[in-house]
Amino acid sequence: MSWAVGALLGLSALAGLLVVLSRDPRRQVYALCANGLVLSLLFFALQAPDVALSEIAIGTVVTPLLFLVTLAAAAMNRARR
Amino acid sequence: MNILAWCVAAWLFGIGVYGIVTSRHYVHLIGCLSVCQSATYVLLLGIGFRWHAGPPIFYDHPPGTPAVDPVVQALVLTDIVVGATVTALLLAIALQMQKRRGTLDPQHLRPFRQQK
Amino acid sequence: MNTPARILLLAIALVVLAPAAASLILAMPAFGHPLSHYGMAVNALAPHLRNVSNMVAAVNFDIRGIDTLGEECMLLAAVTGTVMLLRGHRGEGMGEHAGGVPGRKQAPRSDATVLLCRFMATALFLFGIYMVLHGTVTPGGGFQGGVIAASSFMLLYLGEGYAAWRRIVRGPVLDVLEGSGALAYALAAALPLAGGYAALQNVLPLGTWKDLFSGGLMVAVNYAVAFAVIGGFGMLLLEFMEETRAPENDPVPDEENE
Repeated sequence: MSWAVGALLGLSALAGLLVVLSRDPRRQVYALCANGLVLSLLFFALQAPDVALSEIAIGTVVTPLLFLVTLAAAAMNRARR
Repeated sequence: MNILAWCVAAWLFGIGVYGIVTSRHYVHLIGCLSVCQSATYVLLLGIGFRWHAGPPIFYDHPPGTPAVDPVVQALVLTDIVVGATVTALLLAIALQMQKRRGTLDPQHLRPFRQQK
Repeated sequence: MNTPARILLLAIALVVLAPAAASLILAMPAFGHPLSHYGMAVNALAPHLRNVSNMVAAVNFDIRGIDTLGEECMLLAAVTGTVMLLRGHRGEGMGEHAGGVPGRKQAPRSDATVLLCRFMATALFLFGIYMVLHGTVTPGGGFQGGVIAASSFMLLYLGEGYAAWRRIVRGPVLDVLEGSGALAYALAAALPLAGGYAALQNVLPLGTWKDLFSGGLMVAVNYAVAFAVIGGFGMLLLEFMEETRAPENDPVPDEENE
């Protein structure tokens, strides 16, 4: 299964690059979800199920959610000014 | 394959720092910071990995089967959860800055500048 | 410092650090052949010393438990800082009306969403509790199960709407959960000290192998961490969602601006 580890390492490098290259924050939220998913698959391939569980829950759900809510609150504050 | 994990960790950290330096929006900057954090996760788990070994959970296999290093997994596990709360704190700071100064652009928000 | 100067500084730093990084990468042990003596010792000794089958939980809550106490305090501090920042500017009340951006309609909630969220939120919360309970036996633990259970709160908001969600998920309850979790961990570290043992020493009976309550003090520490994580992440979600409400008619006076 060494090809799985190698392929997932390459995919995670690509996902990190996509997160940085998405300059619009609303697009970056989806890149962050993809990054969390790819990282959790990599952690599964590296035989770390506990780490993969927490990365799924946090990198795919909690962190992009906090980003979305911050962007919504910032848009409301900007509209209110 | 021998050095791919370390190269990916260095690449992720480098690209994260580049994103922080050239960012035009503070929320984008915090996303690049999470990329830097994931570089450390990849490095730590890569250090503990062993070929043809299973996870360090001995529920189905008897203790003594080859397993990867559990110490680095414990480090990364707590790190991920606490890193999410620190990201939330940074987002709260960014939100407060947006309320006071009206913009989230690092180029326009220099420290110790008089409030417009 | 404008952007070209910053990028020049970054380029200089990379040029200086690149040879160091390259030599370090070449000097690392080959991927897949680690030199982890400590990890191999834990894998060989901990199942017999502690009667648990999840080595990661054993390292987290018992063998390196003091580090996790520090991480727990970091979680507490970060959540407290966020709540203070957001509530200090906004006040303590609950917003009645949803904030809106002018020119963007708010879509009504469909019945399919409500039904699915009602099922999935309860199932997800139960799954998170199941993960926490099996922390010392199978992959799981306070951190993972706590985050899964806290993410069910957002599904509840999606299905029920903000007013009903605030009635179900109460701020003071989450405060008590988080504080008692951190306090229980600190007590688990302090009570063996008071009894004459080392801090966080496993003084409770260890239980049988592959049993749900095996591990001694690890089980109590696991539950404490789960409480703290559920309370902390719930508070974070609550505070951030409260930011998206429309402000009340008379805002709280902001003393930093006076």
